[in-house]
Parts: sequence; structure tokens; C-alpha cells
Amino acid sequence: MAKIQLSNISHSYNPNELSPTYALNPFSMTWENGKRYAILGPSGCGKTTMLNIVSGLVKPTKGKILFDDIDVTNLITEQRNIAQVFQFPVIYNTMTVYDNLAFPLKCRNFSKEKIDERVNSVSDTLKLSSFLNYPARKLTADQKQLISLGRGLVREDVAGVLMDEPLTVIDPDLKFRLRRSLKEINEQYKTTLVYVTHDQNEAMTFADNIIVMDQGEIVQVGLPKDLFERPKTTFVGYFIGSPAMNLFETEIVSSNEVNIGSIKIKTNTDLSKVKNKNIKLGIRSEFIDIADNQSNNTIKVKINRIEDFGNFKLLTSTIQNKMIKSKIDREKPISEGEVNLYIPPEKCCVYVDEKLI
Amino acid sequence: MEKFYTILKYTFITLWTVFIVAPFLWAVSTSFKDFQSVNSKVTYIPWLDFEPTLEGWRVLVKSPARGGVDIVEPYFNSIFVTCTASLISIVLGTLAAYALSRFTFKAGFVRNNDITFFFISQRIMPPIVLSIPFFIFLSTIGLLDSLLGLVVVYIVLLMPIAVWIMVDFFNRVPKELDETALIDGCNPYQAFYKVVLPNSIPGLIVAGMFCIIFGWIDFFFAFILTFTEVQLLPVKVVALNSSITPWWSLSASALVSVAPLIIVAFVVERYLSKGNLSGALK
Repeated sequence: MAKIQLSNISHSYNPNELSPTYALNPFSMTWENGKRYAILGPSGCGKTTMLNIVSGLVKPTKGKILFDDIDVTNLITEQRNIAQVFQFPVIYNTMTVYDNLAFPLKCRNFSKEKIDERVNSVSDTLKLSSFLNYPARKLTADQKQLISLGRGLVREDVAGVLMDEPLTVIDPDLKFRLRRSLKEINEQYKTTLVYVTHDQNEAMTFADNIIVMDQGEIVQVGLPKDLFERPKTTFVGYFIGSPAMNLFETEIVSSNEVNIGSIKIKTNTDLSKVKNKNIKLGIRSEFIDIADNQSNNTIKVKINRIEDFGNFKLLTSTIQNKMIKSKIDREKPISEGEVNLYIPPEKCCVYVDEKLI
Repeated sequence: MEKFYTILKYTFITLWTVFIVAPFLWAVSTSFKDFQSVNSKVTYIPWLDFEPTLEGWRVLVKSPARGGVDIVEPYFNSIFVTCTASLISIVLGTLAAYALSRFTFKAGFVRNNDITFFFISQRIMPPIVLSIPFFIFLSTIGLLDSLLGLVVVYIVLLMPIAVWIMVDFFNRVPKELDETALIDGCNPYQAFYKVVLPNSIPGLIVAGMFCIIFGWIDFFFAFILTFTEVQLLPVKVVALNSSITPWWSLSASALVSVAPLIIVAFVVERYLSKGNLSGALK
């Protein structure tokens, strides 16, 4: 277990070209010992590159990697003592399940007793005990992925366990159970876990801290609650949450008011110093509610569609040709045609040049 | 319509089988004939059409002094040269192929694909082009007309086959397998021989089979690079011919020559199936 620091890291796969493109733009970050992190972002945003840099499979173009304040940038993967689980199962086809799980320990010359103990412990956690003597190639895809996961967890002394969308091929029920097991392992052994995913629910339910990435940039690091309620960029607002955050192009009308068309919306943000023209108002569909009457911060919208999701209704409506989505308590009656929606000022996010102010 | 295709399919398979098997049956039948049975009239079935004799087979193991041709020594020479050259080609070829598959080489305009093509081009080139260079080379290092000289030449001929097959095979083995081994604590060499190589056994067997076949059947270099000290099987079989063609002993020697390849084919047949070749790592 170790504190992992990424100091001013950047990476390009074509650094020698005249105008290199960067898979990762310069950033610094610290992963504290024993914590759970999720790296969240769309495909191709640099998540896997970041993991490969930490594990040593890729050497960063610039910057340093430190494990417990020791510079490991120039150490090869074998010397870093880190575990990594890939998106698709990678197993040693010619070995049994036991030998697969024992392999990382054998490579590091652990005693037979210790290997037995660790393999049995991990196989119990992953429900692989009854398959230990099976040839690994004969298992199903999700069982193979459990082996990959097991090889990552079998060493207690690793600096961290890096997981690159490890549960993609696992069925939903097992996925839920495994996430819980990973949390338990983290709590029991204080293993630093880093979990790459593009599934926000996975990230939200798994991690202490979420790192949101886009186009090689780290756009926000924070607790799930912060990311949800106060997304730092419109991208985070759009990417996190389902449905995505409602975003309206707007103009400032007073020190704390913006407009949606001709309607003034009050916010809790001080807008007095904002000079820029590229302004957006963001509001989560979860925070919008039906208003009993037209008062402050209510907007009259035309209902387009009501979808019943069982635990809530998703109301899709328009106001002056702008679409707005809101999650409404399914017990709440919704009248036909038009309805008043209340937008709470404290939940409004104002973005200037796509960034939260 | 489906029945028509079935009939067509089985007709084709039957014709193909006859096409492949008939020469063997003819050779088996002929190998048990004598001069009279071959030259008098068309005969096929032993005991009914002709009286079988082992003379065609006996001649192969008799020394020339006793009226035979003795293919035993050339036979073992061929086994030694083919197996040694194939083994060395597989070892070197596999290492080269792994490097070409996993690392990026740049030297001027030369890239990995160019290097791979360079290896393959050694097989594309007509053998006659290489004959004089090989002759001068072996003559210079004193290995002309020797088993070792033939091994050296055959390595040059067989290694491209090993490289070609193994590059393709390693390209289909996901890089993540090597990376996982590195993460699990192997150094790059251990990752290769502990993890990648055991997973590449089907490819190694197929490459080995092709090396053995091409080494075993080579006549050209065995003929021009040997004289009196060393002879390989193909040269000896051809040397059996004389003014009166001894079809019986030629047939027997042909069958004996082909036998190892048939055995190799049966052993490795399962590895030629797509499933085994694909590696099935994911």
C-alpha cells in the first residue's frame, strides 16, 4: 500500500513529431494510501493511459510518479509492485485457476504456505474455490475476469490495485456483489484502489473520490455529491447524472439573476463581476419540482412528454423552444398542457466559458 | 437444393480423396512388384494380379557392394539436418518474431513490416539465386559437403518460415498478456518464456511442421552442396534411377521418404484447426 503521486505528468504517443498530440495534458494529483478512486470519462479521454503510466507500462513524456515519495518514474513495471486488471479477461491459458492466482506470488518467491493462504482467501472472496483445479481456459468469460481480478488482489503488499473497467464482462448481479467485495477488501486491507470506468453509477457507488476526465484533461476531482451538485464544467454537468444537467444559454440581468427567454431566474451566485457573454445556466432535473402557483423562480413550461420510470416520472417540457427535463415524484399529479416548474436558486449553477463560477 | 449440394460436396470429397490417395496406393502396390510385374502388363492387386515380392524394399537397406542402394545413412542424415535446422530456426525465428511483434523498430525508412518482409523475401527468391553464394560461403568456411554446412544453409531457408508464422501468431496474442505478466512480477524475458511462449505452443507446432516439411523435401541445396561425403535422402532417392527405371524400389523409397511427413501431419493436424491457432486468450 502506498501514497501515489503523479507530479506534472503529461503524455504524448508522438512526442517527436513537429506538433505532437497529447493523450494526457499536464496535471498533478495524489492518490492517498488506502482510498478508493474512480476515474470517469468518455472513451479515449486518457483514463487507460493514466493507469498505464502509474503501472509503468507507459513512460510519461513529462513528469514524475512517486510511490510513498520515492520516484519510480524510471522503474520498470516488475519493480513497481503494482497490480492492474484490464477491461477484458487476461488469463494464463496453460495454467489452472490456482496457478493463475498463485502466479504473482510465485514470481515474487513467496512461501508455499503463504501462497496457499492468499490464493484460498482470494478465491473464497471471488467464489472461485470450487474451480481452483480447473484449467483456466475452460471457465466462462466472467469467471476468467474474476481470475484477472484475483491476480490483482492476491498480493497484500502492492502499492495499489489499478482496475481498467474490470467489470465490463461481468453480469449485473455479480457486478454489484463484486463492487461490494472490492470495498470490503479496501476497508480490510487498506489497499489503494483505482477504478477506471465510463459508468457514472459504478463510479458513484464505488469511490471515495471521483476524477472526471475529458480529452486528456482532468476536469474535476471530488466527492460524488460535489460532482453531482456543483459540476465544475458544463461537460461534468452533462456527463454526470441521468438525464444530463439542463443547460440554457442565458444572459445576466442583475447581480444574481439570469434569464431564460424573458423569464428572470434568481441564483445564489454573485454575477456582478461577470463581463463575458458566453454564459450558461445549469440545473439538475432532480432539483426541479412542480410549483403550485406562479411565484419567484417558477417558469411556465409546455409539457411534451411524461415517462414513468417506476420510482419517478421524467417530465420533458419546453420553454420558449428550450427543452427542460425534470424528475418528478411519481405520486405527484401533473396537469395536461402546461405546468409551472420551480427552480431553486441554491441549486442553480452559472457557467462562464463552460466553467462554474 | 440442399440435397444437390450434399451430393456435390460428397462427390467432390470423393474425387479429391481418390486424387490424393491413388498415387499412394499405386506406390504401395508397385513397391511389392518385380521387373516382370511392372513391365509385362497393367497389374494392381497383389496375389491376384501379381506375386508380391519384397525385393524393392530389400534393395534400400542393402549396401551397394551387395547390389543395394542403402538409403539408411542418407535417411538419418536427412533426419539430423532437418530436425537440427528446424529446431534452431524455430528458436531464432520465434525470438525474432516476438521482437517484431512487440517492439517498434525504426532505421531510416525501414520499419517492422519491412524487416518481416526481408525474412519472407528469402523464401520468395528463386533458390538458384542463392546457390552460388551458398556454395562459395560453405567452401570458404570449409563446410561444403558436410552435415553442418547443410544445417547452416537450411537454417537460412527455414527461419523465414518460422518468423512469418510466429509474427502472425504473436500479433494475435494480446499485448495485455505480456503486460499482465510484467505486472505480476515477471521481467520481460520471464514474461516471454513463462507466459507468452506456453500460450504459443500451437503456433510453434505449426511453424515446426512447416520447417520440417520444407527441410525434409529440399532437393536442390542437398544436391548442389554435397558430393561424396554426405548425402541426404532426396538426393539418394533420385540417384536410385538408372537406365532401367526401378519403379519398385523408387516406390518403396518414396513411401519411406513420405512416412515421417505423414506422421508429423497426423500429430499436428489438431493444431491446424482455427480454434487452436487463434490462441483463444480472451
